[in-house]
Amino acid sequence: MYLKELTELDGVSGNEQQVREFISDKIKDKVDELKVDVLGNLIAYRKGTKGGRKIVLAAHMDEVGFMVTNIEDDGTLAFAPVGGVETQVMVGKIVRINGQTLGAIGYKAIHIQDKEQILKPLSIDQLRVYIGAKSKEEAARQVKIGDYVAFTTTFDQENNRLTGKAFDDRAGCSVLMDIIDKIDRYEDDVYFAFLVQEEVGLRGSAVVVEQIHPDIAIVIEGTTAGDDPELPEYQWATHLGDGPAITFMHRGYVVNKRVYESIIEVAEKYSIAHQAKRRTAGGTDAARFARTGAGTAAAVVSVPSRYIHSPVSMIDLNDYNNTVLLLQKILEQGEAFAR
Amino acid sequence: MIDLIRKLTEAYGPSGREEEVHNLILQELEGHVDGYKFDNVGNLLVWKAGTTGKKVLFDAHADEIGLVVTNIDERGFLRVESVGGVPPHSYVGHRVRFPNAIGVVYVEGETEEERKKNFTNLNLDNMFVDIGARNRDEAMKVVPIGSFGIYDSHFFKNGDLLISKSMDDRIGCAIIVEILRRVKKPRNTIIGSFTVQEEVGLIGASVAAYSLVPDVCVAVDVTDSSDYPKSFKRHSMALGKGPAIKIKDRASISNRGVVEKLIEVAEQEKIPYQMEVLTFGGTNAAALQRTRAGIPSATVSIATRYVHSPSEIVSLEDVENTVELLINYAGKGV
Amino acid sequence: MDVKELIKELSSLDGPSGYEKAVLELIEKKIEPLVDRVWYNKVGTLIAEKKGTGSGRLGIFAHADEVGYVVTKLEKGLFARLETIGGVDPKVIFAQRVKIYTAKGIAKGIVGVLPPHLQKEEHRSKVPSFDKIFVDLSCSELGEYVSVGDICVVDVKPVELNGKLCGKAMDNRAGCASLILAAQLLRNIRNYQDVYFVFSSQEEVTGLGAVSIAYELRLDRAIVVDVTHGDVKIPQFVQIKTGEGPALCVGPVIDKEFYSKLYQTAQRNNVKIQIEPAPGRSGTDTDEVQLSGTGVRTTLVSIPLMYMHTPVEVVDPRDVEETARLLALATTIE
Repeated sequence: MYLKELTELDGVSGNEQQVREFISDKIKDKVDELKVDVLGNLIAYRKGTKGGRKIVLAAHMDEVGFMVTNIEDDGTLAFAPVGGVETQVMVGKIVRINGQTLGAIGYKAIHIQDKEQILKPLSIDQLRVYIGAKSKEEAARQVKIGDYVAFTTTFDQENNRLTGKAFDDRAGCSVLMDIIDKIDRYEDDVYFAFLVQEEVGLRGSAVVVEQIHPDIAIVIEGTTAGDDPELPEYQWATHLGDGPAITFMHRGYVVNKRVYESIIEVAEKYSIAHQAKRRTAGGTDAARFARTGAGTAAAVVSVPSRYIHSPVSMIDLNDYNNTVLLLQKILEQGEAFAR
Repeated sequence: MIDLIRKLTEAYGPSGREEEVHNLILQELEGHVDGYKFDNVGNLLVWKAGTTGKKVLFDAHADEIGLVVTNIDERGFLRVESVGGVPPHSYVGHRVRFPNAIGVVYVEGETEEERKKNFTNLNLDNMFVDIGARNRDEAMKVVPIGSFGIYDSHFFKNGDLLISKSMDDRIGCAIIVEILRRVKKPRNTIIGSFTVQEEVGLIGASVAAYSLVPDVCVAVDVTDSSDYPKSFKRHSMALGKGPAIKIKDRASISNRGVVEKLIEVAEQEKIPYQMEVLTFGGTNAAALQRTRAGIPSATVSIATRYVHSPSEIVSLEDVENTVELLINYAGKGV
Repeated sequence: MDVKELIKELSSLDGPSGYEKAVLELIEKKIEPLVDRVWYNKVGTLIAEKKGTGSGRLGIFAHADEVGYVVTKLEKGLFARLETIGGVDPKVIFAQRVKIYTAKGIAKGIVGVLPPHLQKEEHRSKVPSFDKIFVDLSCSELGEYVSVGDICVVDVKPVELNGKLCGKAMDNRAGCASLILAAQLLRNIRNYQDVYFVFSSQEEVTGLGAVSIAYELRLDRAIVVDVTHGDVKIPQFVQIKTGEGPALCVGPVIDKEFYSKLYQTAQRNNVKIQIEPAPGRSGTDTDEVQLSGTGVRTTLVSIPLMYMHTPVEVVDPRDVEETARLLALATTIE
């Protein structure tokens, strides 16, 4: 498992090179081919023992974050979200700009806010990143407009729970790397695609189909949980500890029935804990795989993850391990897709 | 043709679950096409070879809107989310058909006030489905999470008007089937594409034309017929005015060359037609036109009252005229 | 070529998305003598090719279309209802003269407005939407020939304001002008890469023109030229100014390596530039061109413009010339 290293790297959409270099370094001697495409996707290839069919396993390297959009006269930085981040998770966080400069997102002390102001959601133009610079010139020596800004949360593991930033989707990246480590060969040709720019509109995946022309794609995600006391149980999307979540439908795409049913069959055959993803909100690269080129039978398997798109998310170690196991068995049982 | 329309509109085929519709179409087309295939995402493509080397693709989506089961409570009541643009009010007190069960959809409300509020702001989040199960396990056996449901509604012929669920877009499917049955020896090759998942995200049409690379595509779909009391005031479409040649909707602008050709053919053959500008919505033409290096594409619509309701209404005369227009266009369009 | 006259000439022509023919024909006439070959793709995009001395394929894109209107319905007494093509603020169309392209020629119309004397509070408190907007055709001899689907544009002529140019469709005729001027500069600057000047259709609605030709040409690199908001404070964002040169975009949809080469080229040659961040999509053809085929290395160069999507868009012709210079220099990048 590579989650500690992976989640402590910065890889806001469009700025994935730290993550790409780390993964590339770890897997380059373990695969038959490795390349970086025009958009920056890292694609590894393992030839199958039988060949003929091409399966893509995909996870995205990018995470949500921010971009510096202006440097103010007082040396603070105006910023805008890259991907879906809400202002309620921004205040009181330390961020890293351009992989180097640290900054703080602060806000007025409670003492000087009006009562009704305290519970009012902030708009992003009320927030700035403070990097300790006193003037525009001083700030401009360290940062520039267009620099990427990432959360700085460190990884932790205790009580069978893992916490850190960017489990969406470094969890998927780590699962893919584990599978590369675990077994050498499957019958099918397998492509491991580490994708860029998922969080800004499923973009990296858009150029993969024309390069590989896959038959099947399985997207591995860190997906929403929502299993907390503030949401009635019938509105939970997934529940930590119940196993990998298998998606039947999400925004813009109903998962290919054949592949969906094959995945469930494999999980049941090997008694691997699994659950249905029970809300349809949110999209994944599977939709892009399905609607690009000649089309791909695409599916989604996810590690349930609490508090995604915030600086700190949480997954269950058993869910993670069962996700790796399920995908391993899926690859071994490749003929299940042949129906 | 009425029998064909009845069968197609009554078939079960929510987005992603179009097999029954596809099988029915193949059955109805037996002996009338030169070949067929299913592509990677499950689109059904059929063709009838012409002699010119040119190819015209007619598309209709096989799927319909519906509901999908997302949660089941301990007493066996289902929670559902929408598949495509389902208006929740169409379901209140009505029935939803799953492959193995029929359920009744209703609205929560613990007080009169809350119920009134929920009825005015209908939202699937505070609606549920009753399939008569006694507990979660019993419900899970019949309608597992991930089951898809559709309107439980039936075909009815009311004079010249045809009423059913899923005229959107089985009427398009029926028109294409009818074209392929009637044209014995096409001049240009005719491709019929019966695409999947239009209602959720134009999935099927985004890839349907990739392998066969037609010279031109025409999406055959429904459009809002604004000829009922207080209907959309900026729309001019009406039942009985003939096939509607679309200029634009929110997702695409019909290729100008294709539109001009359609008008020319209609004028020549004295087939009534109407022009269409739809102020919302979109059709598969938006996706078909983006295939590879671009394919000139347009939409020919059937004016339809009450689109996405369990009782969509079309005029049989419009349907017949659309078949005629497209048969002529298939021969002269390219 | 006089830059001001060129921009004015381009701005005067009408070409809403899908109906760019007149604009493209003028561009074709201007650019043909400057390049090796010109042609149209299947979905209405014009391409001008100039072979380079080295290798690589560079596409330089500007969209030729503009926002506009289309007739959706005719009302009794020679009035017409409209739908927008692209995003238009209803506030800009009241009390404007418009032109409607009918089968018989151009009909004139006026967008009517309720005089203050007849307004009630309900009228004053809310801007009428397109559901309430109408065109009065009674002032036109061709009024009776207007039909549903006819294209409509605001009838304005460009004017000069202290050296700046003001008119409709500066978005993106200013960009088109910069491509023509760049082609002219290539008589003196030899391009290393094969250059394809692309005048694309339908940017304002679907981006079909750019995405289709990008796929067909299998480009290595692309520069998209469009406009951006100038001289206006957008909360959180650095202010782009007119007269200060084109803005180079930075963000996920921009290829970092190509951007930095372009930036250095500008610096070395004293081309005035500004930097504009785009944290997500840019809202231009860049977004889709980057994703075409197996991917294209894209950059975005924007000409600062005031009052976007109104009949009084303002550009500084010096920015257009500076953009042309940058584009010409970019063709020498290896």
